[in-house]
Amino acid sequence: MAAERDPMTFDGVDWDRWEGGRGVGSVQLLEALAGLVLLGALCFDYVLVAPGEPTIAVGGAGGPGAEAAVVWDVSSVEWLFAGVLLLGLFHIAVPLAENRRMTAYYWRQFRKNGLAVVSLGYLGLLFLVGVVGPIIWVAPNETIDYASAYAPPLGLGGGLSSPEHALGTDAQGRHIWHLIVYGIRVSFEVGLIATALAISIGTVVGAVAAYVGGYVDEILMRYVDLQQTFPVFILLLLIIYLYGASLLLIILLYGVFGWEGIARLVRSEALQRSEQAYTRAAEAAGASRRWIVRRHIIPNVSSTVITAATLSIPVFILGEATLSFLGFGDPSTFSWGRTISAGRADLDSAWWISTIPGVFLFLTVLAFNFVGDALRDATDPRSES
Amino acid sequence: MRWYIIRRLAWALVATWLAVSLTFGLLLAAPNPGADAAAAQCAAQDRDPGECRERYLERRGLDRPAHVQYLDYMSDLAAGDLGYAQSQDKAVTAAIADAWVYSAQYFVPSIFISALLGYSIGLYSALNRYSVTDYLGSFVAYFGISIPNFWFAIVLILVVGVYLRDASLFGVALEPLSLRTYYESDYPVFSVRNAKQLVLPVIVLATASVASQMRYSRAQALEYANSAFVKTARAKGASLWRVLIVHVLRVALVPLSTILIVDILAVLFAGSFVIEQIFQIPGLGRLQLTAITQRDTDLVAAITLIPVVLAIVGNLIQDLAYVVLDPRIDYGDR
Repeated sequence: MAAERDPMTFDGVDWDRWEGGRGVGSVQLLEALAGLVLLGALCFDYVLVAPGEPTIAVGGAGGPGAEAAVVWDVSSVEWLFAGVLLLGLFHIAVPLAENRRMTAYYWRQFRKNGLAVVSLGYLGLLFLVGVVGPIIWVAPNETIDYASAYAPPLGLGGGLSSPEHALGTDAQGRHIWHLIVYGIRVSFEVGLIATALAISIGTVVGAVAAYVGGYVDEILMRYVDLQQTFPVFILLLLIIYLYGASLLLIILLYGVFGWEGIARLVRSEALQRSEQAYTRAAEAAGASRRWIVRRHIIPNVSSTVITAATLSIPVFILGEATLSFLGFGDPSTFSWGRTISAGRADLDSAWWISTIPGVFLFLTVLAFNFVGDALRDATDPRSES
Repeated sequence: MRWYIIRRLAWALVATWLAVSLTFGLLLAAPNPGADAAAAQCAAQDRDPGECRERYLERRGLDRPAHVQYLDYMSDLAAGDLGYAQSQDKAVTAAIADAWVYSAQYFVPSIFISALLGYSIGLYSALNRYSVTDYLGSFVAYFGISIPNFWFAIVLILVVGVYLRDASLFGVALEPLSLRTYYESDYPVFSVRNAKQLVLPVIVLATASVASQMRYSRAQALEYANSAFVKTARAKGASLWRVLIVHVLRVALVPLSTILIVDILAVLFAGSFVIEQIFQIPGLGRLQLTAITQRDTDLVAAITLIPVVLAIVGNLIQDLAYVVLDPRIDYGDR
């Protein structure tokens, strides 16, 4: 008998290698390490750096009080955003890179929708500008210059327009382009963090409801019913009225009150999966419920969930912009909604202040909707729409 | 079936009670913005802010134990007493009674227009896929879902109110096409002038909700497009619209009513704040915004409950409608 096993036959596969057993893979180790680094940086910011001092001040002459070249006071929302990006990297990008064949298949399906590919490119570019842009372009408030207020966009005449502020300036002479760049980050933070929160809560609730069943299912789903009836926007207005507005609060509220659709989806999908042969086989092999939910149900439901969640990103972005437009946004951020609202007073004379950020908001939401729909078509061939 | 209806009614009551209690709990747990405002006012007049805060709370009975306040609040609510709206200088019920007419004026037409348009385009394009109407429909759907309604309203004002005022096409002035962009509440409700000034708000609100109705009705109708009963009806010689209305719509109406009530209500209420703010319509949305900026807690709480109660009642009606509309659903064992 040959000791070496032929890897090409079914019983020759070394299952321990593929399943990983209870061991920890290098990717998980890397993720834990990255998480720890982020946590350490967070502790450094909150424990060691005095409040009001910037977290990072690089360049310039050393010594306290000296003007630094790069100053970045990382806010709580930005820490969260970094955490969410890390999660996305390890739970979406890494699995995609590991399963080349599956990725290639999905990409072929996705590519059929030309508009969605263009949208994905636009969103990628926007994301890059939103993350890197604030390093290149200074904060809008640093360009306040009343002498160049109400300058029209380039090419529309008017003595004030100049290539320096190609998209024009607002009532305080702030460059519209800078307002847009800083607004990108706000929109992405709202959309991605709130969606990540909604996915986590919704998946846990839906999976628990489906797999435990009985009274737990009844109570959880009744709560979901109730949450669905309570209009989130009205609840948000009430809470912001009582506690004051901050971007973190808005994001958390959208995440905490925006998961009912995902919970329902996960529950119905999980109920279907738990009837399937592979779950039965795992049960017969003596797997615990926890193992089945973690190992079989959640991974199989995940593509549906992530796709459905893509479509909630634009909803959250629009919601935050609407709140900001009504004056309930975070006054310290440069949300697109706030810029549009500020330009309303000058609609007759300076139309570009309200309209140009609005075009970006519209296109961003549109692009997320295109990508979400194309993803759904690619991952779920049953749903034709 | 009777048992099901009774259970459903009981749940609606429980849900209302939970929603009201939640609102009350939120108001109780949070720092009272009205008291903060009173304290700040006193501090500005060189009086003791702490004393003013206490006096404010005392006057409204907010210094009593929580359970007494709760019972009081619930019994007042049951008796239809929602408190006093300081910002409007009248009872909350009176303030709401004055405002809702203005909201309904653009709300009701928007719902009808969007339901009619959304369902007809959605159903039609499901049975005529890849036609011009289908592509037009999905274009409208994406447009309506993605456009921020506050920005859409601003652009409409810019075009209709500002640009058309002095533009001309082939020498013909376009001024007659220009509409009032700000609401004038003195016009009688049923008059041409009033209808004209409501055109823009209705367009903005209907665009937002027509999209989701179209998407869902198309997806629903697609499920039945190849089913046996549709084929039979077509084979019998029924016309396209008869098939759509009599056969497809009857079954599709069940899930669609869910969308209509839950989704549309949320879209419309969020939209009403924006629309009333931009077009300056003195309806419920603006009443709420005024109440929030003037820290009028009684009014804020009351208006918060309106959409919640409407949604609960809507859900109830919709669940009961299921029983009537879809003969396939059997409630015998529930």
